[in-house]
Formats: sequence, structure tokens, C-alpha cells
Amino acid sequence: MEEPRIGVYVCWCGTNISKTVDVEQVTAAVSKLPHVIIARNYKYMCSDPGQDLILKDIREHQLNRVVVSACSPRIHELTFRKVLVNAGLNPYLFEMANIREQVSWVHDDRDIATGKATSLVKAAIQRVAHHEPLEKRRVDIHPATLIIGGGITGLTAAMEIADSGNQVHLIEKSGRLGGMVSLLHQTHPHLTAGNELIQPLIDKAQPHPKVRVWLNSQIEEVTGYVGNFRARIRSGEEVEELDCGNIIVATGTKPFDPSQIPEYGYGMLPGVITSLEFEEMLRKGKIVTKDGESPCDIAIIHCVGSRNMEYHPYCSRVCCTTALKFANQIRAALPDAGIYQLYADMRSFGKGCEEFYMRTSRRGVIFMMFDQKGKLPVVKPNNTGGRGRLLISTRELLSGEEIEIPADLVILMVASEAREDARETAHLTGISLCGNQFFIEKHPKLDPVATTTDGVFIAGSCQGPKDIADSVSQARAAAARVLASILCGSVEVEVTTAVVNDKVCCGCQTCISVCPYHAIHFDEEKRVSEVNEILCKGCGTCGSACPTGAIHARHFTDDQILSQIEGLLSPITLKAMEMAMED
Amino acid sequence: MEYQPTIVSFLCNWCSYTGADLAGTSRTKYAPNIRIVRVMCSGRVDPTFVMKAFREGADGVLICGCHPGDCHYHEGNYKCLRRYHLIRKYIEQMGISPERLRLEWISASEGKQFAELADEMTADLLKLGPVNIKNVLEEV
Repeated sequence: MEEPRIGVYVCWCGTNISKTVDVEQVTAAVSKLPHVIIARNYKYMCSDPGQDLILKDIREHQLNRVVVSACSPRIHELTFRKVLVNAGLNPYLFEMANIREQVSWVHDDRDIATGKATSLVKAAIQRVAHHEPLEKRRVDIHPATLIIGGGITGLTAAMEIADSGNQVHLIEKSGRLGGMVSLLHQTHPHLTAGNELIQPLIDKAQPHPKVRVWLNSQIEEVTGYVGNFRARIRSGEEVEELDCGNIIVATGTKPFDPSQIPEYGYGMLPGVITSLEFEEMLRKGKIVTKDGESPCDIAIIHCVGSRNMEYHPYCSRVCCTTALKFANQIRAALPDAGIYQLYADMRSFGKGCEEFYMRTSRRGVIFMMFDQKGKLPVVKPNNTGGRGRLLISTRELLSGEEIEIPADLVILMVASEAREDARETAHLTGISLCGNQFFIEKHPKLDPVATTTDGVFIAGSCQGPKDIADSVSQARAAAARVLASILCGSVEVEVTTAVVNDKVCCGCQTCISVCPYHAIHFDEEKRVSEVNEILCKGCGTCGSACPTGAIHARHFTDDQILSQIEGLLSPITLKAMEMAMED
Repeated sequence: MEYQPTIVSFLCNWCSYTGADLAGTSRTKYAPNIRIVRVMCSGRVDPTFVMKAFREGADGVLICGCHPGDCHYHEGNYKCLRRYHLIRKYIEQMGISPERLRLEWISASEGKQFAELADEMTADLLKLGPVNIKNVLEEV
């Protein structure tokens, strides 16, 4: 191996790093280490001038290794690898030290943070010295796409891809297409009928020559990798396997069950219904109480299960405006009815929605605020013989008064929550879940429909509560990502797979027993194990099981990790830390 | 100078490393004693990595992986769990308290839990005191 010539770059990240870590001191501390040719610090390494700095140094100082000490490699590792490529270096001759997420954002003491940052940078330098160039491999993309979920998101993505002439397999768990949108009478803020939005999509998708719709079907297993997935689908008794290059997960959400909130009496008191049950009533064309009478007073309670630490901490995003829509629909049907909105905070955000709120408030709708963090409104039967079958007692937050509201119908604006099969879907497709069981995107701002598994995309409310407009945008975004990869025809895949050194392999086959992907087979003739690099996903489990050290887990080799550990704990950095602490 | 333990922590790329990143993005403060090494899967953690960390002067080693059933590579965390019990026995025979090695499950959303774990392990190691690896090596 050629003598390492390492360039080290410490990022300030504006003040994100530099206010807690003394970047000058870190730079100075590592500049004299073996193989370090140049060490610099700069305001924003990821900016164009920052990247140019590296590019120029690589050329001027004939650097053959680069360390950037900045944010998490999950954010900018690819950015900097590209710089190496542009400078004619192999992208794997690079290492990042994460001194923002792991140091400046989590520690306060400047000296200690500087000491820790120094040891992380030192570890990265020791590690990168052992990096070896790896050649990227390209694989062909199978042109078919698997879309899980036949709601508005899945249908939109399906049509976008199918209309471009590529095959789509649309898998729907239930017996009908259309999802949540087909359950809505009208949508906000333009009062367009739900059916008017969804039915044309269904009518187009079903006979489309490039769309195969699978109703009452579920994914049982997904194997393979980007460009070359194989999914096993079960429809009743029948099981079929199909190949696809990309997967879009658009499984949506489900409504919160309000019977777990005792204050609202859902399931006990007739007349207390959910927002979706009210939609059904609207679709049937008549607003009635359980006894079939026309209600005189209707109360709408917001944030049922949302923005409440007991249930879900998040905002479900669609309920406030849906509640306004209900008020308009009720007013149109029952001109004399009392309409009461019991809200925690009105959040009618989005294009045209604030205006919709203003218009609604002029239609004789009474808005009352309750304390979501304090005592919730309580719904109980009205035994006083006065107006209303039910009475809601609440403390109105703006006036501070305890009031009672009569109601014949109480509509609970239920939260949107992750489906009960979200975890299973996540496992099958290799997606991670957030704390609220929604799927996690690759990057919340810059890569919102990709996931950490290449070739698997998420769209719509399975990623988090979303309205129709946002879901459709995501569906089209995911479709664009898929079409781009189909158009390209092939994709670069990670080459950080395992490889067996057949001179050292003793043929014990321990690696074969631990490989989760059956990617290792035994060559009977040579009496050694052999890794199938297409099937290997690079977890490295075989590497740690191999008793003779014959398995080389590329980019996570024993040498690389052991040197990193040495760097982390080397006395120089401990001493630097002690000195820093004594100062 | 007051003794400050050093912990080497091996975090899997998919769950635990992301969880530690989340502690950062949420600005959750925790003890600075922890030094992170990223591996793709907790199943990659070779016993020699743990031994190396102790040999180089770590006072504790923390391995974190995805929760059971959530492993990005299906079952690497189970492989890690089996090895963990073996390594604990091994370091105990060498005279290093097995409490100095911990295996915990941290998901991508558990930034807070990671921070708490770092604090808890630091406090435990403060009570245990330094390993004094030179004596350990001489005795062996």
C-alpha cells in the first residue's frame, strides 16, 4: 500500500460546532500526527468553497486520504465522497468524525468537548490510514415497481409510473381501492367530494394495461436489494412471487380509537361519534341522532388523541380544517342548529385554509377553547330535562369560565395514528420506525420520500399524518425517484461486502451458519467458504465469527476498527484532554 | 485529577447510531465520557474489538444494537447477544468486572434513552473506578 498522505478538515458548522469545540485547538492537535500532511478548519466544509478547499489540497499536496470532522456521516458522507471522486481519488479513502451530533450538540464544557473532538478526529485519521480503494458495482434495475397500499397515495404513484409505460403491481390489503379518501363525503377547504377525487383514479388504474391490482393481498416476504427485489404476495390461498426494481410503501394511517379517553364517553353514550362516522352520515345524506331525529345542537371536540401526552404527542394536521368543513356542512343542512367547536388551538394552516376558517367563523359557529394539558371537556347525559340530550362541561380557556354546552350530537375529531401492521411492513421492507410508529424518511428535509434502504420509498400518511394534497405530492415525488432509476437502467450498489481470503480460511463453515442472507457457500473443491457479493449486504457478522480472520468485512475491516479504537484511546488525546481540563 | 472513565461504544449504523444522532439533533446533553465507533451491525462487534478497547485503556465498553426483531440484517443483534455473554465471562476470567461491558438496544427514535444510558454507565463506572489495565495484563 502506498504511504498515506492525509488531509484533515475540521468544520465549524457556523457556530454549531465552533461555539462548543475549539476548532483551532483540534486542528493544531492533529496536525502533527503521522501521515497528516495538512490540517485545516473552515466555516462550512459542506459548502462549495469548503469542498473546493479539499479538492485543491488533494491536487496540490497529492493527498490520498481525507478526514472531515463535522456532522454525522449520515448527512454528508456522500457529499465528501463525491469531492474525492472529483479529485480523482477513490471515494472510500475518506472518513468522517462526527463532532457535531456526538460532541458540540450534546456537551457543554468547551475543554472537555474539545478533548473529545480531538480523540474522535484522531481515531478517524488512524482509521483512514487503513482504508482501501473499493470499486463500485452497478446492477440493472428491474423496471417493475411494487406499490403497497391502494389509497390516494398508492394510486397516484401507480398512475404516474404506469402512464410512463412501466409495470406496476399495486397491492391492497382490503377488498377495495380508494383508502381513506373514499370514506370522505367532502374534502377541505374547497368542499370537493372525496369520490370526485378518488373514483377517476380507480377507474383509470383498474383497466390500465400496465397496472396489476391485487386486492385482499399481502406481502409475505421481500428479498433482494435495490433494482432486484423479489416479493412473495399472498391473496387468500394463492401465493405468487414477483420481481421488481423499486418499492413504494403507501400504507396510510388509521383513526384513533376514542373509547380510551373516558371523558368523552365514546361507545357508552349514543350521540358521541367519531369524525369518520360523521363522514359516513354525511355520505348517506342525513345528519341525525341515534333515534333518527334532527339534532338541535352539535358539538365538535378537537384534538381527540392528538397533542396529548397521554395518547399521541403529535398534531394530526387534518382535523382542525376537517372540523371547519363539518361546521359548513352542518350549517348548510341545518340552518338553525347550534354549532360548537371545542378546540385546543386552531391550526387551519395551508393554502386557503385560514380564509376557510374566517368564512366559517362568520356562519354562526361558536368557538370555545379548552385546556388540552389540563382538564379535558367531559361529556355526560343531560338529566336536567333542559336543552340537549348530552351536556359537555368544560372550562373555557379564554374567558376562564366553567360552562356547560348542550348537544344532541358530539363529533370527536380523532387522531390519525400508525396502522397496527406498520411494524410488520417496516420489517418486510427494511424501513425504520419513529417513536410514534410512523416510517422514517432518509432525511426529513432533503430526502423526504427515500428510506435508509435503497430502492424502498415511502409516501403519504404512513410517514406521518398528512392531508390529501401533501400525500399526492409525496406520491408523485416517490414516482419521480422510481422513474429516474428506471430511466437510468442501472444503479450503483454498496461494495462494502465481505470477502474470504481462501489462503487463511480453514473451512470450518462458521460463517455460513451465521449469514442471514445465505450469501456464503462452501466450495467443496477448494474446501473454503466463498461470499456471493450480490447477496451479501455487508453486515459483517461473518467477519466477527470467523475464527481465523479469513473474512474481510470491506470498509469495516479488523484493521480499520482496531486502529480507530487505538486512536480513540491513545495517550496523546487523553493527555490533550487532561491538559485542556487543567487549564 | 479526578478519575473520569472512558467508554468505547459500538453502535450499529441503522438503529443505535441514528439514535445517538437524534440525541444530538434534539440537543439532549449527556456525559462526555463516551466515544462512539460505528459498525454496520452489532453482529460485526468482534470480541477482539472489546478486548482491544480494554487493552488500550477503556474503563467500559457499551455495545448498542437494534431492538430484538428490529435488526436491519434480521438477526445480527441476536448473534451479538450470544457473543456478549461469552465476552463477559471471558473478561471476568481476566480480572475485568463483567459489569464494565454492556449490551443495550437503542432504536433510531431513542435519542433520549441513549443519552440516559451514557449517563448511567458513566455513573456506574465512576463507582467501579479505573480498570488499571497494566495490572490486569501483568497478572494474565
